[in-house]
Amino acid sequence: MAMKAAVLRHVRLPASAAASRTLGLASPASGRWGGVFGSVFRSLSSHGDDHLSKDEVVDRVLSVIKSFPKVDPSSVTLDVHFQKDLGLDSLDNVEIVMALEEEFKLEIPDLEADKIDSTRLAIEYIYNHPMAG
Amino acid sequence: MAAEAAAKTAAKTAAKTAIHRLSGMQKQVLSLYRGFLRAARSKPQQDRFRIESIVASEFRRNALQVDRKNFLYIEYLLRRGRKQLDQLKSPDTTGLSSVDPSSRTDH
Repeated sequence: MAMKAAVLRHVRLPASAAASRTLGLASPASGRWGGVFGSVFRSLSSHGDDHLSKDEVVDRVLSVIKSFPKVDPSSVTLDVHFQKDLGLDSLDNVEIVMALEEEFKLEIPDLEADKIDSTRLAIEYIYNHPMAG
Repeated sequence: MAAEAAAKTAAKTAAKTAIHRLSGMQKQVLSLYRGFLRAARSKPQQDRFRIESIVASEFRRNALQVDRKNFLYIEYLLRRGRKQLDQLKSPDTTGLSSVDPSSRTDH
């Protein structure tokens, strides 16, 4: 209990997903403490304040796609298919997924990236990704 | 040091056709394309932009010009593209240049 309170005092950070993720790495004995800090922090954040809300994911995904040069922003909706509806080709699809990687600071493996071909799938993947920032 | 970027591999999908599943070869092409774009990220900004433009136009040019059933040629382009990508990944390489065969003058 005392330990938890002591840790809590140290763990009060400004709302910043990046800061929370680097917390464990900052300590010199990061191997052991990183694990402890990491797991303590995760168990304390009961409201998931260290990952993005659905609304935020939706907004940012749609905005990335709307700003893609070959896309007509007015045709971008919540469930639109990049190739079938927006008239893009598979190379554009690769570019879009990479733009999403940069927006959310992720690296998406080829296997998954090949499947993301609509706004709906992009939103779903990113929202469910624990590291999306 | 610039690495020559010759013709790359073709992207198989035409914009208007329904794509349900990617063939093995299509996946390799897209994977190579992705590889180039990832490698470009690690370069200085101006070089990155130039690399992306060249790679994008080369891939699309081949998508238009190469017959999607010309497997031998496509595999050749894939192999060559991968070698060029390896060169690009070296920190000494900051860019690509592309040669347009039609602009060659014969002596």
